[in-house]
Amino acid sequence: MKPSRPSDPYWMLLPTLLLLFVFFIFPLGMLIEHSLLSWDLLTPPRYVGLANYRSLLRAGELWQTFATTLSMSGAVVLGSMSAGLALALLLDRPGRWAAFVRSAVFSAYVVSWVSVGLLFLWLLDADSGIFAAIWRPLAGGRAPRWLGDPALAPWAVAAVTIWKITGYALVIFLAGLQDVPQSILEAAELDGASAVRRFRSVTWPLLRPTTLFVATTSLIASFQLFDVVRVMTQGGPVRSTTVFVYAIYEQLFLDLRVGRASAEAVVFFVILLLLTGAQFLLFRTEESA
Amino acid sequence: MSLWFSYGGTNREVLESLVRRFNLRQSRDFVQAVYQGDYFEGLAKLRTAIAARCAPVLSHVVGEVVPYLAEAGVLEPLADYPGVRDLDLIPELGQAGTWTKGSAHPLCALPFNRSTPIAYLNAELFGQAGLAAPRTWDELRAVAKRLTEPKAGGRFGFGCPVNWWFWVALLGQAGGSLVTESGRIALGDQAGVEALVLWQELVRDGLMKPPPGRDYNAWEQCNQDFLSGRAAMIWSSTAFLKYLEAHARFKLIAAPLPAGVKRAVPTGGTFWVVLRSAPSTEKAAAVRFLRFMHEPEQVIEWSTRTGYIPVTRGAVRTLEQRGYYAAHPNDRVALEQLSVAEPWPWSVDLFRIQREIVQPRLESAVVEQRDPSALLTEARALALEPT
Repeated sequence: MKPSRPSDPYWMLLPTLLLLFVFFIFPLGMLIEHSLLSWDLLTPPRYVGLANYRSLLRAGELWQTFATTLSMSGAVVLGSMSAGLALALLLDRPGRWAAFVRSAVFSAYVVSWVSVGLLFLWLLDADSGIFAAIWRPLAGGRAPRWLGDPALAPWAVAAVTIWKITGYALVIFLAGLQDVPQSILEAAELDGASAVRRFRSVTWPLLRPTTLFVATTSLIASFQLFDVVRVMTQGGPVRSTTVFVYAIYEQLFLDLRVGRASAEAVVFFVILLLLTGAQFLLFRTEESA
Repeated sequence: MSLWFSYGGTNREVLESLVRRFNLRQSRDFVQAVYQGDYFEGLAKLRTAIAARCAPVLSHVVGEVVPYLAEAGVLEPLADYPGVRDLDLIPELGQAGTWTKGSAHPLCALPFNRSTPIAYLNAELFGQAGLAAPRTWDELRAVAKRLTEPKAGGRFGFGCPVNWWFWVALLGQAGGSLVTESGRIALGDQAGVEALVLWQELVRDGLMKPPPGRDYNAWEQCNQDFLSGRAAMIWSSTAFLKYLEAHARFKLIAAPLPAGVKRAVPTGGTFWVVLRSAPSTEKAAAVRFLRFMHEPEQVIEWSTRTGYIPVTRGAVRTLEQRGYYAAHPNDRVALEQLSVAEPWPWSVDLFRIQREIVQPRLESAVVEQRDPSALLTEARALALEPT
């Protein structure tokens, strides 16, 4: 449609631009400004240049938070995608039983993060949790401290996140599977292709856009991980589950270091920007291929 | 006027009942008590609200943060309000006795829920094993070992949150101090290391369970371990006395903490603070409410229903006269420990040193069994860095 006046698109965009400026550009500018200050909200702020960034780097805190976030995100993306795809392939069939299981798996996705955190806090209790009760007769001795051991806690939290968001991946993959033309699958079957071969050569390539979408959304969800960490581990033990959002919350609201929290948020923003850029490039390559 | 508080469970019910009583007994002032999460969440909200200029007139904060808030100029000096100088506070629990040189600073905090760490013993298990409460660190190790049941679904002899407060108790017992008389941040020097080594050994030998979670989640977990019989003896705050007595299915004995080279405990809990930013009529009303809360009737009710130490001498005298302590010996433990309570070093950095520098290293030493000496050397260096 051609606008009647050349200025029409601009004033139509104005409300969105205004919202974008008030809730995104302006706070981002403030964030960058705050990252150059030493400020506890109570006493007057002091300009410290890049000192907040330097101290984050020097303490090794930034790298540790980055590594924790990245490894947990990797586990969450891979785990939720594989589980979602496997379940979608199993449940992509008519019938009441399949419908029931589909709803059951998806129901976890609509439960609040806090409830999920509290639930798994009990289930994963090393003494009285159900997982400990299963562990003891199988392996003997005390069950591992899933949430108390720094080597296990990040994976335990990642597993809970996978459990929570797999339902979403399942639904998207189911939609993707229904888009795979039956005629191609039937033709492949007539040509004598096995079920594995049909999946590898027909279903999987046609599911790639869906896979990319699921990967993006679960990556976003895993990078926003906060509630479950806040409820289950508070970033511990020994900072082993301190992901970016939790680290920012801790610096800002518990330690009241506005400058350092802002510096950490700026770094997080840049990382997300780079990841989004990489994803965008990947999509473009997909499309041109 | 608005009062922000940080108690859950029974303590919340008791506070709310006292606030209701204040509101009913007079018509001049009305207090609205608003729950704000645990101490640290409450503090975060309070500081953010001060910055956003929407702070309440009255709140209560942990002792370690009072110097910081006082130096930031956000607390109202209270000494000149009518009746405040006449409160017969127990010296060790008020500002003057809680911090070194506390009386040299303007009075800006009045004690409310004040505590010391104490030991809780499962009397049945101690009785069966013929054991008494440990009086020394060696006895603590021996008792923990006797009462530990290492088999599957078994029991730990000892439980204690790996937390700054208990570490300060241990380093005091080992003969150290957080800050020396000359003002050097010592973090106990060798005593701080010895305190961590004791925890490390107990955990390594399977006698003590390091509870998962941080801050008050760890305390709650520790209490639950004790109540469910998974820990035969724990260290916790006297604040949980009534809660633990009410929920334990066994006889519970409270005992003082053992001695290292000497006996020592820090005090804990919170202080009432009036925010300077509030209108003067509200500040005056807040002080009237605080005077009401320091009347013997309220102090006694708060103390006997929660387990916190009564903060006025009058209240203690009344309880003695009524024979309360003879009938409830567990309540006397924290009160008697005040004779060995050590004051906190007044410092604007104390809270930062606690939360950012020391606490994560305590966890690291105990959970990851890292070298305590290296960790505390690192902590001392960081404590000296400008913020």
